Amino acid sequence: MVQERRILYEHLDVPDINTFEVFRQHDGYTRFEKAIAEYQPEELAQMVWDAGLKGRGGAGFSTGEKWSFVPRDIEPRYLCCNADESEPGTFSNRYVLEKNPHLLIEGILICCYAMGIETTYIYIRGEFTLGKKMLDAAIKEAYEQGYLGENVRGTGLNINIYSHPGAGAYICGEETGLIESLEGKRGQPRNKPPFPAVQGVFMKPTVVQNVETLCNLPFIVGNGVEWYTQMGPTYGDARFDPPKPDPNTGTKLYCISGDVNEPGVYELELGLTCTELIEVAGGLRGEEVKAVIPGGSSAPILTHYELDTRLDFTSLTLAKSMLGSGGIIVMNETRNIVDCLLNIMKFYAHESCGQCTPCRWGTPWVRDIVQRIADGEGRQTTVTRPKFGITESGRWGDTGETEEIYEDLDLLENVANNIANVDTMTWNTICVFGIAVSWPAVSYMRKFRPEFEAAIRESKLVTLSVAEATVPPEENYAYQQRIIPKEMADLE
Amino acid sequence: MSEEIIQIETPFQFNEDNKREFDELIGRYPVKEAAMLPTLHLAQRQEGYITPAVMKYVAELLELSVMKVKDVVTFYPMFFEEPVGKYVIRICHTLPCALRDCKVVLDHLKEKLGTDVASETNLAKGTTEDGKFTLMKVECLASCDVAPVIMVNDDLYKNLTPEKVDELLDNL
Repeated sequence: MVQERRILYEHLDVPDINTFEVFRQHDGYTRFEKAIAEYQPEELAQMVWDAGLKGRGGAGFSTGEKWSFVPRDIEPRYLCCNADESEPGTFSNRYVLEKNPHLLIEGILICCYAMGIETTYIYIRGEFTLGKKMLDAAIKEAYEQGYLGENVRGTGLNINIYSHPGAGAYICGEETGLIESLEGKRGQPRNKPPFPAVQGVFMKPTVVQNVETLCNLPFIVGNGVEWYTQMGPTYGDARFDPPKPDPNTGTKLYCISGDVNEPGVYELELGLTCTELIEVAGGLRGEEVKAVIPGGSSAPILTHYELDTRLDFTSLTLAKSMLGSGGIIVMNETRNIVDCLLNIMKFYAHESCGQCTPCRWGTPWVRDIVQRIADGEGRQTTVTRPKFGITESGRWGDTGETEEIYEDLDLLENVANNIANVDTMTWNTICVFGIAVSWPAVSYMRKFRPEFEAAIRESKLVTLSVAEATVPPEENYAYQQRIIPKEMADLE
Repeated sequence: MSEEIIQIETPFQFNEDNKREFDELIGRYPVKEAAMLPTLHLAQRQEGYITPAVMKYVAELLELSVMKVKDVVTFYPMFFEEPVGKYVIRICHTLPCALRDCKVVLDHLKEKLGTDVASETNLAKGTTEDGKFTLMKVECLASCDVAPVIMVNDDLYKNLTPEKVDELLDNL
């Protein structure tokens, strides 16, 4: 069985780790001191790039690459730490904020030093009252100990960290929505470009990073790039010659919930399979896995045929899904996929910010269609098409063949694909919220079509067995198109 | 202009503690407008909900139009424009909680409190007659490992069952 590899969470359960003194006893702030003593800011940024750290917030974009876009000659620059954790199924940042906030502060200090940043805003979810209390206390302690404020520990650096509470809007987890919200406006995402790295908060260069990404920095600095890259697979992109390395290095805080015996956060090296993760989380609660959502509710669903997919950024992207924020939701054989989709669509219809028309009108429309199907009022039509053959009277003519068309399922796919097209990966909205809506809508419907059809046909929710509800692999678009990446070592 | 449209019966003002906190807040940002959300949180904590008087006061503090403040207040679900009960009960009903039977807890809460679930535009619908409780559904509270969960004001309660809800409500 795969073993947990606790790095970020290593000292999470140490009593009073939230206080400066105890954190200090567990190597706290020594990595920041090492960074200042041994490295130049540019060297640190290069180190993060070499380590292959990918953003843990959802998009999985290379952190080092993102930092390289920030113009170093424009002052001031800002860091926004995204602690607006609201993706359904994700809850790893909450534990960091509530139990070990000094680790986040140390990560921020390293990022600030590497990027020459003086001001950091931690945008923390409004509902995280305990997290904010613990974080504010830790920030206060760090100021008292001279790790924040003017002339940090006599190095001449000025670094300030402020926590900024959100107010319950999901869209503020999107980086430009977060920036707008931080500026005191409605949290409606901005058009990109310009990217936040060039014009972000207060129209100044801004680095936006997730809590988990920043918490990785002390360990990269403390243990070195080589140590870090040994964890997790490094794939080779065979489209390039020689193959371009595609690192999925480090550990991930996998949040697993739903039908497993021991839901919780498990820190594991990237690259284990779905089946292995369910085993780590105490096994399945129930008889059979019906479906797994691999990366928060926005991610396309995986059927039981796809459970051998490795849970890392590259593998899941090539399997037409995504790792996203690492929130894994498991469903057993008793669950009805139509009902699950309805729940998720209600969420998106509620959280659409209302800025772009396709999303503002499309999300409630998709919800209404699914609601209709779940209520047993799904629309179905019988079409008669001319088909020539031997008729009942024994003559050659129109046999009058009819076909059942599930009108609502076609409509559902049509509406969802016009918010964002899942096949071409293009969206008609400003931000990626559009794709977060149509991804689940289309993937649930295509992969569990028999269950949707049964609900329409029998005018009520029908929970089919796992084998009946899932479309076979040869009809599964994602299974047909998926590519299993090869590790660099195998390519060479 | 704004004064004519919005009728204000009693003006609002921060108490001394909040005023001090606000003065500290405002220094964190290069523009005053950025202090909007923390300021509104402070005001809501003092007043209970965001009244027109609060909006006018916040607009004056941040040197903005009242419209701009209203614009923000209506966007975020955590700001109330109507009075709410002493205890605001937020129940999570998103997928991971739904998989762990949050509906049982919700039905029990509805029956026990004798009220419906508040909607964003009608908070009175979910408020008990004595004004003690307001029941509302919210989206994921990021505690899916201990689902189903509810938040009562600032505190989170985990792994709920109808019995635990009874115990919790009796202690409030």
